[in-house]
Amino acid sequence: MTPSLPDILVGNFLCFAEPPPPESAGEFMAGKVGVVALLSLLAAQEAERGLSARVWENAAIRAVLTEAAQAYGAAFAEAGAGADVDVTLSALDRTNAALRRSLIALHEAVEAADDTTRDHAILRLYGAMAYARRLDMPPLPGR
Amino acid sequence: MSLAERLERYLTRHWGTAATIRDLSRIPGGASRETYRFDAVVEGQVKPLILRRDPTGSLIDTDRRLEYLAFQSFHGRAPVPEPIVLDMDGAELERPFFIMSRVDGGAAASPFTVQPYGEHAQAIGEAFFSALGAIAATDPEGLPLTQAAVTPGSGESWRVALDHWAGVIEADEQHPQPIVRAAIRRLRRAPPPPATAVRVVHGDYRTGNFLHDGQGKILAILDWEMVHLGDPLEDLAWAIDPLWGHYDTSRVAGMIPRAEALAIWSQASGLPIDPAALAWWELFSAVKGQAIWTSAAREYRDGGFKDPVLAISGWYTARRHDEILADRLMRLEGLS
Repeated sequence: MTPSLPDILVGNFLCFAEPPPPESAGEFMAGKVGVVALLSLLAAQEAERGLSARVWENAAIRAVLTEAAQAYGAAFAEAGAGADVDVTLSALDRTNAALRRSLIALHEAVEAADDTTRDHAILRLYGAMAYARRLDMPPLPGR
Repeated sequence: MSLAERLERYLTRHWGTAATIRDLSRIPGGASRETYRFDAVVEGQVKPLILRRDPTGSLIDTDRRLEYLAFQSFHGRAPVPEPIVLDMDGAELERPFFIMSRVDGGAAASPFTVQPYGEHAQAIGEAFFSALGAIAATDPEGLPLTQAAVTPGSGESWRVALDHWAGVIEADEQHPQPIVRAAIRRLRRAPPPPATAVRVVHGDYRTGNFLHDGQGKILAILDWEMVHLGDPLEDLAWAIDPLWGHYDTSRVAGMIPRAEALAIWSQASGLPIDPAALAWWELFSAVKGQAIWTSAAREYRDGGFKDPVLAISGWYTARRHDEILADRLMRLEGLS
């Protein structure tokens, strides 16, 4: 997933680093401040849950790849081997990218084989992945 | 030279008489165009206007000529501002732009708010889906839009739309996205029936892209930058996507119940709604959304992380649409 939490926090600084032209100093700047405030709120959630969500997702994908290896080839077992040792966000994301590519390849193979049981298991995993990565936008007063 | 001075110079040349610009102010919100409100004083008359200029970085690359032709096509037929001038070269303003009349006194609801229409949600919902149906009812033949828009065959509109947005994901993806890729494969495996009619598709018809008066009346339908010709169910499905639901699952777009919205649209458009076709376009809508957010994330990075609207789009909305996509995929398999 992009952007990363450091991207967001650095961006919150950079978007105010240059003085705006006069036509962007009023309503537009007020709107920008509001969006940065929302980003900060969401960043707090990501700081709290982001690492555990990635560790969980990587482990869950590894389990699916390993389980499927006997039916779909040893390459999936190799892709699913290992464990997360470096638990920085950037390291987890690098590993996650490789695991997700293997999961996409496995899902394509599962669909081609009309393997409904594994297809459904992967769809459920997608639901769990999306939920683990969720960001909860608080309802704001309407106008 | 300031933007106001450049704008003044351009309009003086365009109108052939001295124009004075006052109260030039950028409007927050959209990331696909820079939008400014201003008054032009010409021969003692005050003209309230809007400038839409191409940005240096954008949520999604769109064709400003198509957008301008859409305003020309629907001004007078629907609550759509009058287009004034389009300049594809940018002239004094350095980037392509167009100018249109300004509609004052209205508000656009943020998708992140609750009950933005208050006690007027029912009236807004009736007007919103009726107006969309009226757009879908319009025969595109003879509209200015057809000078530039490609007309797909009725059996091809789904493929054209899906190829476009799948291509955007392919081009702009920075981190593998298994959920949206599964949705794209499913859409290709089980295409919808041919479009009942090929009509004008606004492309981004949703809460937040129109002005309302706070009393239940729609004042202006805006943001036509993704306009094209295709299956009108594309617009309907996008309008009722859960992302625009204002946290209210009992109503679509935070306005009215789903069944009522569909009935109003169908009556206004004169077109039937095939449930299977609409289900296809609803899954497509989440793919399209994810493609837009994928581009936003790319632009956020390429632009040096300076536009927080691109950050929200590429981050929060992308994750929200992953949830929506996963839910839709499971529902289609009877898993949730």
